Amino acid sequence: MYAAVTSSTLMATLGRPIVVEAHVGQGIPAFTVVGLPDEGCRESRDRVRAAMLSSDLEWPTKRVTINLAGAGERRGGAGLDLAIAVGLLVATGVVSQEVVEGKAFVAELGLDGSLRPTSGMAPLVAAVADREVVVAASAVSEASLARAPRLRPVHTLKQLTEVLKAEEAWPHVEVPAPLVVVDEVADMADVRGQEMARLAMEVAAAGFHHALLMGPPGAGKSMLARRLPGLLPRLTDEQAFRVAMARSAAGMPMTAEIASSPPYRAPHHTVSMIGMVGGGSSHLRPGELTLASDGVLFLDEMGEFAPTVLDALRQPLEEGVVRLSRANGSVEMPAKCLLVAATNPCPCGVSSPLACGCTNVAKQRYLRRFSGPLLDRFDLRVELQRPSTAELTGHMKGECSATIAERVLRVHELSFARQGCVNSAISSDALEDVAPLQNDALNILRSRLDEGKLTGRGYHRIRRVARTLADLNDEPGPIAAQWVLLALSMRAKLNTGMGEQR
Amino acid sequence: MNTARYPQWSYSAALASLPLLTHRRLRWLMQSGSPVDVWHRIRGGERFLNGIDDAVWRAWGSVDDRLLIDISERCIDRGVTVVTMKDAAYPAALLGDPEAPAVLFLRGNPTVFTHRRVGIVGTRTATASGKHFARTLGAQLSAAGVAVVSGLARGIDVESHSGVLSALNDNCSPPIAVVASGPDVVYPREHSRIWNEVIAQGVLVSELPPGAHAEPFRFPMRNRIIAGLSEVLVVVESRSTGGSMSTVREAMKRDVAVMAVPGSPGMRQSEGTNDLLRDGCAPVTHVDDVLLALNLDTRRAQNWCDSREALSADEAEFLHAMGRGPRSMDELSIHTSHSLVNIAVYLGRLEAKGWVANTDGWWEALVA
Repeated sequence: MYAAVTSSTLMATLGRPIVVEAHVGQGIPAFTVVGLPDEGCRESRDRVRAAMLSSDLEWPTKRVTINLAGAGERRGGAGLDLAIAVGLLVATGVVSQEVVEGKAFVAELGLDGSLRPTSGMAPLVAAVADREVVVAASAVSEASLARAPRLRPVHTLKQLTEVLKAEEAWPHVEVPAPLVVVDEVADMADVRGQEMARLAMEVAAAGFHHALLMGPPGAGKSMLARRLPGLLPRLTDEQAFRVAMARSAAGMPMTAEIASSPPYRAPHHTVSMIGMVGGGSSHLRPGELTLASDGVLFLDEMGEFAPTVLDALRQPLEEGVVRLSRANGSVEMPAKCLLVAATNPCPCGVSSPLACGCTNVAKQRYLRRFSGPLLDRFDLRVELQRPSTAELTGHMKGECSATIAERVLRVHELSFARQGCVNSAISSDALEDVAPLQNDALNILRSRLDEGKLTGRGYHRIRRVARTLADLNDEPGPIAAQWVLLALSMRAKLNTGMGEQR
Repeated sequence: MNTARYPQWSYSAALASLPLLTHRRLRWLMQSGSPVDVWHRIRGGERFLNGIDDAVWRAWGSVDDRLLIDISERCIDRGVTVVTMKDAAYPAALLGDPEAPAVLFLRGNPTVFTHRRVGIVGTRTATASGKHFARTLGAQLSAAGVAVVSGLARGIDVESHSGVLSALNDNCSPPIAVVASGPDVVYPREHSRIWNEVIAQGVLVSELPPGAHAEPFRFPMRNRIIAGLSEVLVVVESRSTGGSMSTVREAMKRDVAVMAVPGSPGMRQSEGTNDLLRDGCAPVTHVDDVLLALNLDTRRAQNWCDSREALSADEAEFLHAMGRGPRSMDELSIHTSHSLVNIAVYLGRLEAKGWVANTDGWWEALVA
């Protein structure tokens, strides 16, 4: 009459175990799902009924109540189909309750009785990894990413019933071992010329400094950003696992491979607020920020993004997490990404003062599309120019990514050993200890502050970038003036014509 | 004969504030009698001039003494002096001008008009080196006792005057500003400080009554006054279709010598000036060129010295290696074969001393 079956539901990037209770009793034949189910879950009645009939199982002509036990949160998803079906089998006495103890069921049912994968298989399985987890055979590679030791892939509901009735053994399906792979990433050596921009990318990678690339079309902004993941250190196991979970939760096609190279996301500028930070009606899908976590988020043509979407980036970038609160619960998702944005310097996009026809007012208006606080988040603001013909056609190849990545890795190790975080995350209080300045370096910054060419925030950011530059050049002591000057030349003045220069 | 209830100048000011006025109509009005008389005839609805449309007469007929009182109070309030061609304060240079403004609104000291005068004009979107040249030239001319006439627009105009004001002392000549709005309407607004400084040190002049806003068609009108007040007109940077070219045309009509600063070919900002040079204008590469054109002793220019901090030998070498024209840091690294960090160090030091300027990532040497 009563059954309790374990399954899991998805909330943002995390699965949560859930107990599906089934009760079959006397009364007018009916089927009710209680416990704040969502739409997908209510529809499961029809799928489960069709699947059971297709599998030659009896549909109880009694009063059936399904309860999704747990706290008062709305939950559901098609992944509960199988648990509901198994619950009915137990409640109608086809299978005994003892058999389903210690097991979890995560799959959607097809009308023909087959088991199907549902989106977010990896986090769903990870939530119940301590149990025997029954999943669709077609979802086995994605489910294997969760590293559950007892994964039971099954093809159909009928097959599962036979196994649970102890009439057959578990079908033999190969469970692949999750493979850590390295993605092919384009190499920095392809970038001709652009010494300044290359250096900026190296600094961005080494100190995790957000970078704004300003340059005319054809200057190679996207090309540089695309190569940035190749400069970052490889992901740790934990990070790679987190990245895979987020991708699976977002419903991206998954194989039994875990990428150890940092993710790279370049959403189109029409991306919505939900698409960027995450959300949505049912289980709060992760957004681009979370998908790019531990990697690079590239915003090409930043001026074309909706201002509200850009401003929504501010808090997550500062704290490294996105906190979403909805009526049916609140979640935290990782958002530790390296932001690289690209924009034209002025409406005409030519940039060279020799040919640019934009008035100062037009330029200022163009820059005013970006809110000041957002512009402040960028430690590096680099102006790019188109490479000359000589640079483009020359045979001079730049340094390759691997060489740069070695230096970057060394700086990461150094900075974690010194202050326990990357250089861009040094708090302003800790700057005195971690990034002391030599006297002449301090004087340069003082005079810039006095002249109003540097804001208080800019002052701290310059010190962090200078720290990274000195680290890259193996100068761990107090920072010399040259690094401060180089850092200053990588922070372009942005005159928006309003208030102080950013 | 009508009696004057208000000071004479307020009648002139009121006539200059009539609707649908052009400088020609105002001149006709001022020539047809005393301002008091003309004012009363207009108020009486009399149509005493040929060649003026009915619509204009109707508009004029609808004004009353309130206009006169308002404009007079405003002039007193803002410290604006109203001068006509009969007044001693009226600039003598404009007396023979075929398109002279019959009434001028002044703020500041009108004795500056008796100095030697050179107009400096140019584009609003100037390069850093163009701005630097205008600044230096303004300072040098002022030190040589020559008044700089300019329009207080963005770019070259405002730089030339801030150059004048930067080194002003007793031997220097104060600036003359000719603006295209009322003398109390600051345009562009970010120039309010230099606007007030010009009034405090020199003179600011407009043919428009206080309260008049800058409108596009008024800038060419303003340019004719700049041309009329200048003995020599120097164009520092201009595109071939720029507003400075209208000043040049006005200057040529008045037989005022036009001189141009040569620029790098291919730069939009030098198209106009290079065209002028090709057409036979005298080039200006140094303040002496201008002083010679004024028949002044070039030793006067020695009153001015470059107050920037001197360069060390390696800095000077780097500055020389930068060449002229804007360059990006990548280009500099190719041209000078220094590493990026060395270039950043040099540029930082030179920028602090005022020898280079950075606009949107482009570096320029500021060598006059």
